[in-house]
Amino acid sequence: MERRNFFKITSLAGGGLLLSTYLPLACTTTKESAFDWEPNFFIRIGSDNTVTFICSQSELGQGTSTGLAMVAADELGASMDTLKIEFGQGSAERYGNLQDTGGSNGLRIVWSSLREAMATTRELLIAAAAQKWQIDTDECYCEDGFIHRKNDEEKLAFGDVLDIASTLSAPREIKLKEFGDFKYIGKPIKGPKTRMAVNGTTPYSINMKLPNMLYAAIERCPVWKGSLSSFDASEALKVPGVVEVLEVEPTEVQATDYRGGVRPGVAVLATSTWAAFEGKKALKIEWEMGINGLKSSQDVQKELEDDYKTNSKANVDLQNATALFEGGRKVFSAAYDSPHQANACMEPLNATAYHRGHKVEVWAGTQSPQLTRDRIAELTELPLAAITVNNQPSGGAFGRRYFCDYVEEAVILSEKVRVPVKVTWSREDTFLTSKYHPICKDYWQASLDTNNFPTAIKYRGSISRPGGYRCYPYSVPIAFYDYLKYKDDWLLPRASWRSVYAHPWGLGMECFMDELAHNAQEDPLQFRIKLLENAKIVEQKALPWVGDDFYPEKLKNTLEMVAEKSNWGKKSEGIYQGVSAISYNTSYCSMVADISMTNNQVKVHKVTAVIDCGLAVNPSQVKAQIEGSILWGLSATLKDAITVEHGHVQQSNYDTYDLMRISDAPEIDVHIVESTDTPSGTGEVGVPGVAPAVLNAVYAATGKRIRQLPIRSSLLQSTDS
Amino acid sequence: MKNLKINGQLLQVNADDNMPLLWALRDVMDMTGTKYGCGKGLCGACTVHIDGEAVRSCITPIGALEGKEITTIEGAEGNPILQTVQEAWYHADVPQCGYCQSGQMMSAAALLSKNSDPNDEAINMAMNGNLCRCGTYTRIRKAIKNAADSLDQNNN
Repeated sequence: MERRNFFKITSLAGGGLLLSTYLPLACTTTKESAFDWEPNFFIRIGSDNTVTFICSQSELGQGTSTGLAMVAADELGASMDTLKIEFGQGSAERYGNLQDTGGSNGLRIVWSSLREAMATTRELLIAAAAQKWQIDTDECYCEDGFIHRKNDEEKLAFGDVLDIASTLSAPREIKLKEFGDFKYIGKPIKGPKTRMAVNGTTPYSINMKLPNMLYAAIERCPVWKGSLSSFDASEALKVPGVVEVLEVEPTEVQATDYRGGVRPGVAVLATSTWAAFEGKKALKIEWEMGINGLKSSQDVQKELEDDYKTNSKANVDLQNATALFEGGRKVFSAAYDSPHQANACMEPLNATAYHRGHKVEVWAGTQSPQLTRDRIAELTELPLAAITVNNQPSGGAFGRRYFCDYVEEAVILSEKVRVPVKVTWSREDTFLTSKYHPICKDYWQASLDTNNFPTAIKYRGSISRPGGYRCYPYSVPIAFYDYLKYKDDWLLPRASWRSVYAHPWGLGMECFMDELAHNAQEDPLQFRIKLLENAKIVEQKALPWVGDDFYPEKLKNTLEMVAEKSNWGKKSEGIYQGVSAISYNTSYCSMVADISMTNNQVKVHKVTAVIDCGLAVNPSQVKAQIEGSILWGLSATLKDAITVEHGHVQQSNYDTYDLMRISDAPEIDVHIVESTDTPSGTGEVGVPGVAPAVLNAVYAATGKRIRQLPIRSSLLQSTDS
Repeated sequence: MKNLKINGQLLQVNADDNMPLLWALRDVMDMTGTKYGCGKGLCGACTVHIDGEAVRSCITPIGALEGKEITTIEGAEGNPILQTVQEAWYHADVPQCGYCQSGQMMSAAALLSKNSDPNDEAINMAMNGNLCRCGTYTRIRKAIKNAADSLDQNNN
């Protein structure tokens, strides 16, 4: 059944539209003396047999370039050992609107079109070889970068048949390979990305150097929505290497808030990054702090709490959940707080731009090469065709690099000086004047029957995301109440942060489920399984990049597996367990945290996780994503948060915003559900369940409910159960 | 102008004495394997070896480095321990974004040059100054142990 489903999905997506989009037929170019054949925008085959995969999606460390290269190599019959990888420039003309990388979509949105393009290329190579050999195409197959004759030693390299292949028309029908024919998919392959990282040669944009390039550092307004009053550059200009000091005019956050939001600032342009940083320190600047100058985190917290007291209407009411609260039934309520957070990518934000008057070229590690290109066209008032966005691998992105303000800055400065400019954010800049995961407060209520078993749920989430409810898996009817939507002038500007709103959502839902289980005196894991047994399939069609419905039985399966793998309920003395179950972007992940408590300090010993992400194209990378997500979630649970006083962020570097370090890292045991369903995302589904698994374990250990992040030992001293 | 011995070669570096080695390497010498992470010695992304010790290059001015042996990730060819560490990193599939990994491997190589069989505690001590936001720590630990085993086999 699983297998049939797999073929149904791929053949469904195999319409002519995609083929015509992805296959400008027999498009050939000559580069220097070698002959290159580019049958589509994913692949380039040289007469010297070089096969280059052009990765349309962004490589942020999640391994998309390796995973997609494996898919391409398998469907084409190329060799991963010799496959070269390049990154596609931002281009809707080439890749449709499915290029920007977010929501763990890298693999799943190009899975079908990439395979179709490669299968077509393969058939053209085979047809060309068959013509050379004067035999039937059925007598030939592609493997390891050669076209082979069946039952024969004879073979032709791809490069040997380009003269013919490039003249052929695409076949009307193509056959995708069957699962059993894959040589790479399903195996822990390492691509060129791993080798480059180990050699230190990954071409991050922070390494960019162009002739006549200036290095820029910007002092940005420390308070969001503040403005520049005046500045004195005289001391900065005395710093050796400083060439120029320029004002940076702010840009408004656009309706789609990935665009705009450049803060007012003063830029120092110099002959090295260090000189620019030193020059920046010597600037004297007066700021007008504006509407947020007196505001602090507590003020926003209070705004959320005050708004909760106002009336709100359910915008989604599944199975008449609201009605099930009426008639004086017993109600149980809880609220969960999560603070502002920073992405804190190891590669600080940076971008290089070269504005030549009539055209602009940028180099940046970006999740949104197309959106960024559109935005630069808008900003510079140049046609889209005049804008080139070279997408470099990112040293971490986690949502922050979907927002293109840092690229806008480089363009703004290069437009002024008309030489290439590289803007490098200092680490302090990335904490003090960036964009942030928003502060949230989520309210949950359950109507209980006489056995304290929930009969209906109300959810009222701050800044709730339309569509977030689609990840609610349980059979208990639920009603969704929206309240405060994030406002762009609100204390700090918003960015996406690994798993975005699924993190506060998961924190609330999975802690609340635990509380409900204990109210009903049931085992928290078995309680969830019970609530998943009769749950309905949830449609996810509203999100265009999610191609699949949500199946509660898959989540239930991960729960049953994690119970077994974690020895749920059978732990040695002093070790306490907590569980969570999350579905996000059509992947499913359950996890169990094993903790101990000493002097009100939580120690996480082990996290066991089970993920169902459909077909695991590269199991080593799938596991790596879950391992990384667990560490990400643990940093938010056990380490620091972003707090604001009088408009100023209080955390400026890794000393005040610490992250999990190797000595904090627990043992991690990840299991992948075997599946041949269409691959779904793995980069985020592991995050939202981490905090609730740990908090539920803390309850198991102490009988105290912590409902806010991060966990502080003071909370454990003062909180009543 | 300074004469610095980097990866076994004596090189002229045309930069201010106060410039941290990190920026001299990256912006002046075009050796970009060493990474800027925090500028304060808090994250370890810029770790290099100076006379065999793991040092944060972001807080080490070049003025004090004449006559010292500087090793960066680009110098792995002449450093069998670092090469072994790189291979262990590759085979354990450690890197995700990879940005911190030059620094991680430099710290690990410095550890293994002094302690051929580090236990978990020794690994924690040597590696706690190296942050990884992608969360590759469990694989880093495994790779260090594998590298120690490989070095042990080579020596026997």
